[in-house]
Amino acid sequence: MRSRTVQGTVAIAATASLALAACGGAGGPQSGGSSKLTDDKVVIGLLNDQSGVYKDLSGPNSKVAIEMAIEDYKAKYGDKAVAKDIEVVTADHQNKADIANSKAQEMYDRQKADIILDVPNSAAALAVATQAKNKKKLYINIGAGTTALTGASCNKYTFHWAYNTGVLARGTAGTITKAGGKKWNIVYPDYAFGQDMNKSFTKEITAAGGTVGQSIASPFPSDNFATFITKAGEGDPDVIGSMHAGGDLINFVKQFNQSSLKGKVQLAVGLMFITDIHSLGVDQFAGTQFTDAWYWNFDAQNKKWADRFKEKTNTRPSFAHAANYSAAMNYLEAVQEAGTDNADAVVGKLEGKKINDVFLRNGEVRKADHAVTHDVYLAKVKSSAPEEWDYEDIEKTIPAAEAYGEANPACSMS
Amino acid sequence: MSDDTTDTAGTTTTEQASLSGAGSTAGAEPGPSRMLEVAGLSAWYGEARVLTDVSIDVAPGEVVTLVGRNGAGKTTLLRSVMGLHRQTEGTITLDGTDLAKRSADARARAGIGWVPDDRGIYASLTVAENLLLPPVVHADAWPLERVYEFFPVLHERRDFPGTKLSGGEQQMLAMARVLRMGSRLLLLDEPSEGLAPVIVQRIGEIIREIKGQGVGVLLVEQNVTFARAVADRHYLLAQGKVVEHLGNDDFKAREGELLTYLGM
Amino acid sequence: MSEFIQYTLQGLAAGGFYALSALGLAVIFGVLGVVNFSHGACYMLGAVLSAVLLAELNVGFWAALVIVPILMFGFGVLMERLLVRWLLELDPLYNFLLTFGLTLVIVEAVKQRYGVSGLPYQVPAGLGGQVTVGSVNLSVYAIFACLFSVVVCVAVGLLLTKTRIGMIVRAATESPDRTRALGINVGLWVTPVFGFGIALAGLAGVLAAPTRAITAEMGSNFIIILFAVVVIGGLGSILGAVVAGFLVGLVEAYGIAYAPTYAQIVIFVLMAIVVLVRPSGLFGREEVA
Repeated sequence: MRSRTVQGTVAIAATASLALAACGGAGGPQSGGSSKLTDDKVVIGLLNDQSGVYKDLSGPNSKVAIEMAIEDYKAKYGDKAVAKDIEVVTADHQNKADIANSKAQEMYDRQKADIILDVPNSAAALAVATQAKNKKKLYINIGAGTTALTGASCNKYTFHWAYNTGVLARGTAGTITKAGGKKWNIVYPDYAFGQDMNKSFTKEITAAGGTVGQSIASPFPSDNFATFITKAGEGDPDVIGSMHAGGDLINFVKQFNQSSLKGKVQLAVGLMFITDIHSLGVDQFAGTQFTDAWYWNFDAQNKKWADRFKEKTNTRPSFAHAANYSAAMNYLEAVQEAGTDNADAVVGKLEGKKINDVFLRNGEVRKADHAVTHDVYLAKVKSSAPEEWDYEDIEKTIPAAEAYGEANPACSMS
Repeated sequence: MSDDTTDTAGTTTTEQASLSGAGSTAGAEPGPSRMLEVAGLSAWYGEARVLTDVSIDVAPGEVVTLVGRNGAGKTTLLRSVMGLHRQTEGTITLDGTDLAKRSADARARAGIGWVPDDRGIYASLTVAENLLLPPVVHADAWPLERVYEFFPVLHERRDFPGTKLSGGEQQMLAMARVLRMGSRLLLLDEPSEGLAPVIVQRIGEIIREIKGQGVGVLLVEQNVTFARAVADRHYLLAQGKVVEHLGNDDFKAREGELLTYLGM
Repeated sequence: MSEFIQYTLQGLAAGGFYALSALGLAVIFGVLGVVNFSHGACYMLGAVLSAVLLAELNVGFWAALVIVPILMFGFGVLMERLLVRWLLELDPLYNFLLTFGLTLVIVEAVKQRYGVSGLPYQVPAGLGGQVTVGSVNLSVYAIFACLFSVVVCVAVGLLLTKTRIGMIVRAATESPDRTRALGINVGLWVTPVFGFGIALAGLAGVLAAPTRAITAEMGSNFIIILFAVVVIGGLGSILGAVVAGFLVGLVEAYGIAYAPTYAQIVIFVLMAIVVLVRPSGLFGREEVA
């Protein structure tokens, strides 16, 4: 009872101070006069998993990537930079949609974030997209794969930068099927992401002239895949597709390698990050094919950026790190072009923009659904690593148009 | 049920009379060298006081009973002496050594042997293991051969799980266990309870056997007939206090009155 | 038919591993009455230690099978002496909460030190590949892990049934008070038994390292299955843990084979049925301490 009263008091106090702050901001003179920035500065919010399964994939090192973008932006524009004062704020959403929702609200309202970046986990990303729409502030998704962000749940302020489940399916399922892996069995974790991946893969395999014999749902999370693998081996498939992620994926691959299917059946992985290969060891994944949105050792340009990243973090970047850099950089460029951080103006500059940078090749911010389309890569895990983190052979560049297909008709930007 | 027991125990008495005559028939006066001395003992369960200023003693080779209604505090007194009930005040000495601060296992090693009212036989141990579990604490301890000789049924069933024995056999086992350990003072909690007359008679024999060895026995007993057949002295407990202290002759003389008092 | 045999063998292989993993949980509950929630975290520590020993000191799998349990025994002794001991007199819930909190600390500490994506570990040389008989095949490592687990379970069983230490532990498990009253310092046995239980968790972790993802979270899901195993077997019953381990392995394998989505639910349905029919578990004593 008492604590409720205290809590109520604090809530009232907080609301009151918030209102005061808002009035102060609106009524006060815009210091500097010439500045077109709200609150005199640009605030970039990084909202991702800072402690859980996606920590290594993106996590705190994405802040480093964003700071690299800020450094580059300042170096490029010097005194002419519209955004002179740029701040990065971070928060841990612990992979939970409700926490992501409240953290996003806090970032937009209290920390005055002009944009939120990253947000792995599809449910969390959808929650933040809704916040962005309501607050009329930007959100560029990187970590989450759901196509809903550029489909039924798309909105004017939300962009999808790096990859989506459709891209993974077209890249991996389409390419492998066309190359002769016609008979597939799929094992997928029984939650939203896994179900989505299973659907996308089945669709692309069928479209490419293949068949899916079995789609087997496994409980999430799961440790023991031996029997799932036996079951997936029934019916003599050419390819077994694992749609798992994180620890489940590692369990699956370790146990696949110990099964009699190893060497007889091709293993394709729906979603894989370089950090997964790093943690399991390259020999365990050897020969596994998957779609990568970006690879640090693909060419000299990537390598140069990766070296810079390594100096700061002592590790190699995942595609999510590079994508965070790219998103932050292009956002700042758009602010520069617009001469303001006003969200509508920045969105206007981003829409339709064609980009070639360290992350995006043949990139385009598609106006119709805000998917940022770009070339992706069919990667095959090397059998041994020449140096730490050098794990992938890029077998094929999948052109942006092929990877992303047509704009999602389910999206209407109103 | 209790009628049956009383009856048979009655028969036992007549047989016993001469035997107990040979032992100590001292009245209410304590024996010359007191083995167990409990002085001013009070015990609590949380806020509730269950024993108040209890003083009792047992001499070597003496059988002393605690008689009283259910809830009078008899079992609590035994558990307090054993050290299993710790919320107590007062002194407990065995052969002059203060035990009040000692743990239950230390008291057991000092020579106190506990035979709980549920016999305390381990289901997960065989009969032989039940016997061999406690350490030997005194030179007078019964060797295993003697135990088996005295309790042939335990030898027969030595590899059975302890709880597969009948109630009477379990009682034998519980007593044999503390004898093998070499306890100098036995705390027997209702050894005759729920047992067939012939078994009760056998337990009477055992008690006399150990008494002859100079072992002291503190016996909680509801069966008054059994109590007077084996005991030398009696403490009457009511509401956690010692209300009477009688020699066996006085006890016999006032048996009717006592039975009424006890509501038996 | 050969499919059914295949699933049965896979279930048994997994079951042996479950039995070993649950064994320490059962031992600790049996003697201390502590529901050790941190068992999963200790299992994880065992796996992480194996990976770290390999990566940093080049200590291989076979040595880890010996070294890790010893280290974990020490960890268990510290845990009991510094923490668990002080709450033993109180309601068991206190130690459950203590070990729950400890789990969070251990998991976060491992995350801080070793990250979240996990550590690499290979199948030891000589244990790779499969054994194939007709159309049935099993991985050599799974067979090894199962046999090893069974050997450890039998050894622990013999230790408990054939030695004086085992006799005392069984007696203390059944009734600590009564055992004290028979002259045995039960407290003296509590620390090594706790350490032993933790060492068993660590051993299961070493065994898991070549075949499962070594991450800070690897125990968080696993502990739930282990709780199901000990509840089905009867809390504190060693034999129960072993039998239930195999039962759960089989039920899980058949579940995956014939109703994959419900594979894990089936385990808990089994648990619910056992608890309804025999609240103290298959091999539990009727009285609840």
